Amino acid sequence: MPGIVITGLTKRFGDVPAVDGLDLTVRPGELVALLGPSGCGKTTTLRLVAGFMAPDAGEIHVGDRVLSSPGSVVPPERRRMAMIFQSYALWPHMTVAQNVAYGLRFAGIPRAERTERVIEILRAVQLAGYGARYPGELSGGQQQRVAVARALVVEPEILLLDEPLSNLDASLREEMRFEIRRLHERFAITTLYVTHDQAEAMVISDRVAVLQRGRVAQIGAPSELFEHPRTRFVAEFIGKTNLIDAVADGPGRVTRGRLRLRVAADGLGAGAPAVISIRPHQIALSPRAAAPAPPAGANALAGTVIRASYLGDSVDYQVGLDDSDVVLRVTGPTPPRARTGEPVALTVPAEACVLLPAED
Amino acid sequence: MAEAAASRRGRRLAGLDRAAPVWLLAAAALVLLILLPLGWLAYISVSGPQGFTLAHYVRVLADPPLQRALWNTVVLAFWSGAVALAIGAPMAWLSARTDLPGRRVIPSLILASFVTPPFLGAFAWVMLAGPNAGSLNQLYRTLTGADTPLLNIFSMPGLVFVVGIYSFPYVYVMITNTLGLIASDLEDAAAILGAGRLEVARTITLPMVLPAILSGFILAVLQALALFGSPAILALPAGFHTVTTQMWSFFQYPPRPELAAAFSMPLLLATALLLLVQKKLLGRRGYAAVGGKGGQRRPVRLGAWRYPALAGCLAVLACAVFLPYGILLKAAFARAWAQPLTRENFTLENWSFTFLHGATQSAILNTLELGVLTACVGAGLATLLAYVTNRRLVVGHQVLGFLALSPVVIPGVVLAVALFVAYTRPPFLLYGTLWILFLAYLTKEMPVGYSQADATLRGIHPELEEAGRILGAGRLRVLREITAPLAKSGIIATWCFVFIGVIRELSASIILFTPNTKVMSVVMFDLKEEGQFGAIAVLGVFMLVMTFATVALMQALLGRDVLGARPSGGPG
Repeated sequence: MPGIVITGLTKRFGDVPAVDGLDLTVRPGELVALLGPSGCGKTTTLRLVAGFMAPDAGEIHVGDRVLSSPGSVVPPERRRMAMIFQSYALWPHMTVAQNVAYGLRFAGIPRAERTERVIEILRAVQLAGYGARYPGELSGGQQQRVAVARALVVEPEILLLDEPLSNLDASLREEMRFEIRRLHERFAITTLYVTHDQAEAMVISDRVAVLQRGRVAQIGAPSELFEHPRTRFVAEFIGKTNLIDAVADGPGRVTRGRLRLRVAADGLGAGAPAVISIRPHQIALSPRAAAPAPPAGANALAGTVIRASYLGDSVDYQVGLDDSDVVLRVTGPTPPRARTGEPVALTVPAEACVLLPAED
Repeated sequence: MAEAAASRRGRRLAGLDRAAPVWLLAAAALVLLILLPLGWLAYISVSGPQGFTLAHYVRVLADPPLQRALWNTVVLAFWSGAVALAIGAPMAWLSARTDLPGRRVIPSLILASFVTPPFLGAFAWVMLAGPNAGSLNQLYRTLTGADTPLLNIFSMPGLVFVVGIYSFPYVYVMITNTLGLIASDLEDAAAILGAGRLEVARTITLPMVLPAILSGFILAVLQALALFGSPAILALPAGFHTVTTQMWSFFQYPPRPELAAAFSMPLLLATALLLLVQKKLLGRRGYAAVGGKGGQRRPVRLGAWRYPALAGCLAVLACAVFLPYGILLKAAFARAWAQPLTRENFTLENWSFTFLHGATQSAILNTLELGVLTACVGAGLATLLAYVTNRRLVVGHQVLGFLALSPVVIPGVVLAVALFVAYTRPPFLLYGTLWILFLAYLTKEMPVGYSQADATLRGIHPELEEAGRILGAGRLRVLREITAPLAKSGIIATWCFVFIGVIRELSASIILFTPNTKVMSVVMFDLKEEGQFGAIAVLGVFMLVMTFATVALMQALLGRDVLGARPSGGPG
C-alpha cells in the first residue's frame, strides 16, 4: 500500500495558477481531504494526481514511481488508481454489473472470478441483486453506491473522490459520509477526497488539507485544525469564529483600543500586529447581575446583547463589548440566558484566544 | 547512467498519448481539405503570366455585363430575403403562439419545403408558371379566355418568388426557436404593470425576437447569394446572369478559372461579412433565453382571423409544397406533362427510361455512391474533429473548430472553382474522377456535420470517459466502448444530414462533373436542355423519397424535431 508524495505541484490555466507550488504527503492507508472554497485548486490537484492533466512544475510520486512531472505523465489507465466522480459518471448504456466489472478486465482477472467479485462488492455497498439494472433505473443514492463499488472492486492502490456527495440531498449525504468512512476503515486504501464542505471533511478524513490559492494553507487532524488554526483563512473556513485585529502588548497580552485580552501564546514583540481567533462556543455568557466570579487567568468582558437568536439546540448571541467596537458571536445553551438589550458578562479562557499571524 | 536515461526515455514514451496520431491525422486532413483549395483560389486570382497581377480583378469588376450580374445578385438576395421574412415571420408566430387550426401539422409541411432542393422547386415552377405551357397559365387562359399569360416565371420577380418560398424556413426556424424560449409570464409581467396587448408586443415580445428575425433574414439572404440552380433555370432563359451563373459560364469552353476566382472574391467577402453580423446578433441573444423553465405559454386567440390565417399558411405551403409536388408527380407519370393525366397520357416509360437508361442510371449510382461515401467519411471525420476540439486533445483545437465551420462562408460554386484549380494540377490530379466531387461534398457538408457532432459530444460528460481511463482503459478503447455507443444516434443523425446534403448538391457538381462523373442533379440539369421533363420529374420524386426516408430515420433516432436540431447552417 503506497502513499502519495506531491512536491512543488503547479498548474496554470493561461496566466492564472490554479495550483501553485503545492506540497502534500498522504501516508499509506490514510484518507486526506482536500478542503477549500471553489477556485482554490482542489479539483485541479485531484485531476493532476489522476493523470488527466500534466503539471507545469512539480512532481507526483506514488510509492517509488514518479507518475507526473512536467513533460512526462503516466496516463491515467496505468496509474492503478480508481476515482469517484461528482457526476458519478456511470455509463448509461451498461448495466450495474457491467459498470462495476469494467475495470476488472484490465486487471487481468479471469472472467469467472470477475463475476464473483462484482457480486461480492455489490453486497458490500448494499446493492446485492441490482446487477442487471441500468443506472437510469436507480435512485441518486444507489447510483452513488454503484460508483463506489466500481472504484473499490479493482482494489486500487489509490482512491480519488471528487465531491462525491454534492449531488445527494442532505440526509442521504450525512448517511453516505459514515458509509464512506466505514468502507475506508474496511479497505484502508490511500485516499484523496475533494470537498468544499468542512463538516464532511471532518467526519470522513484522517487529516484535512485546507487549500487556499493553490497551496496547502494547513494540514492536520480535524481537531488540530479546529483548535489550532495557523492562519486567519483556516480559522474562518473551519467552523465559525470571532476574529479580532489587535496589537501585541507584552507576553501573552494583546490590546485593541481599551479592550485587553490574555492569549494562549506569547513570542510576539510588543507593538506587533496580531489577529486573535475566539470560537463562539468557548465564550461563557451570563446576565451581568448574576455573573459568577471568573476563574483566575480568564478574560472577563462586559457587553450588551445586540441580538439573541433561538436555534433550537443552542442560542446564538451577538454581543457588543462595552467601550469597544468589537462585536462577538457567542453560542450558548438553551434556554436563553439573556435577552436583546440586556447587559451581560462574558468569560473567555486565555487558551481559547488563539493567536494568528496578522497577515496571510 | 545510460540505463537511467533509457528508463527515463521509456517512461516518457509510456507517457505519450498513443492515440495522438489519430487526432493529428484528422486535424491534418481538415487543414488540407480547406486550406489547399482556398489557397489555390486566392493564388490564381492574383497570378498572371508575369507573376503577381490584379488584372483579373480589374477585368471582372470593370466589365459592364459582370457588374450587372453582381447587381442582379444583390437584387435577388435582398428581395428573396424580404419574401422569406414576409412569409416566415408571420407563420412562425401563428404556429408558435396562436390557436391556428392545424398548427401541429404545419411544422412538418414546412420541413418538407425545407428539404426540397431549391432547383427542383424551380423545375416544378417552370412547369407551373412557364409563360406558354405552364399549368397555372393554361388554367388562367381557359378560365378567362385571355391569350397573354398571367405569370412569367422566367423573370426577376419569378426568381425572387421561387427562391423566397424555399428559404423562408430559415426565418421560420430562427423565430420559432426564440419564441419557444419566451415564457408568457415575461409578457404577463408587462401586462400586470399596465401595458396593453399591443404595447406588450411592441415593448417586450418584438425586441426579444428581433435578433432572431434579423438573423433569419440574413440566413435567407445568404441562401440566395449562394444559389446556383434556381437562377440557372429561371434567370438564364430570361436573359440575365447572377454571380453564380456567371461563374459557371466562365467554365464553359474555354474555361477561365482565373476570372472565376477573382469574381468569387466579392461573393466570399459578402458571405463572410453577413455571417459575422448574424453571429453578433445571435451572440447577444442570451437575454431572450431568460426564464429557462419556460413557463406556461398560452396561445393567443385569433377569433375571426383563425381561418383567414390558416388560408394564408396553406397558400404558402401550396406554392412551396403541394403544387410543385403535384406537378412533379403528374409529370413523372405523363407522356406529355402539359396535358391532363388521362388514361392515354399515363405512362411508366419515364420511370423505365430513368432507371434503365445508361446515363441516368449511372448518375443515380454515382449519387448514391458519393452520398454513402461522403456521409460515412464526413460523419466519421466530423465526429473525430468534434471529439478533438471538445476534449482539447491537440494544441490549437479552437482553430480546428473554426476551420471545420469555415466552409459555411464558401458558396458551392466558389468551392467548386477552388477545387477545380487545386486538383487539376500536381500533386493531386483528381479532376475527372468522382474523388473531386467527394472532396467538394465533404468540404461543403463539414460545417453541418461538425456542428451536429459537436452538439452530440457536448452532451456526453467527459467524466464518463475519465471514469473508463482511470479504471485502466486506453483513450482509443474508451472512445470505442464508451463514447461511441453513447454518441451512436447522434453520429447516425450526422450521417443523415450529410447524406441529404450530398444527394441534392448541384452548385459545386455543375462545375466539377465530367461526362463520366455525372450525378443526379447534373443530369436533371442536362435533361432540361433536352426538354425531358418526365425524366426530371422521376429523378426529382426519387430524390425526394430518399430525402424523406432519411429525415424519418433521423427523427426516429433523435426523438425530436429535425428542424429544431438543425444548426444555423449556411448557404447551399
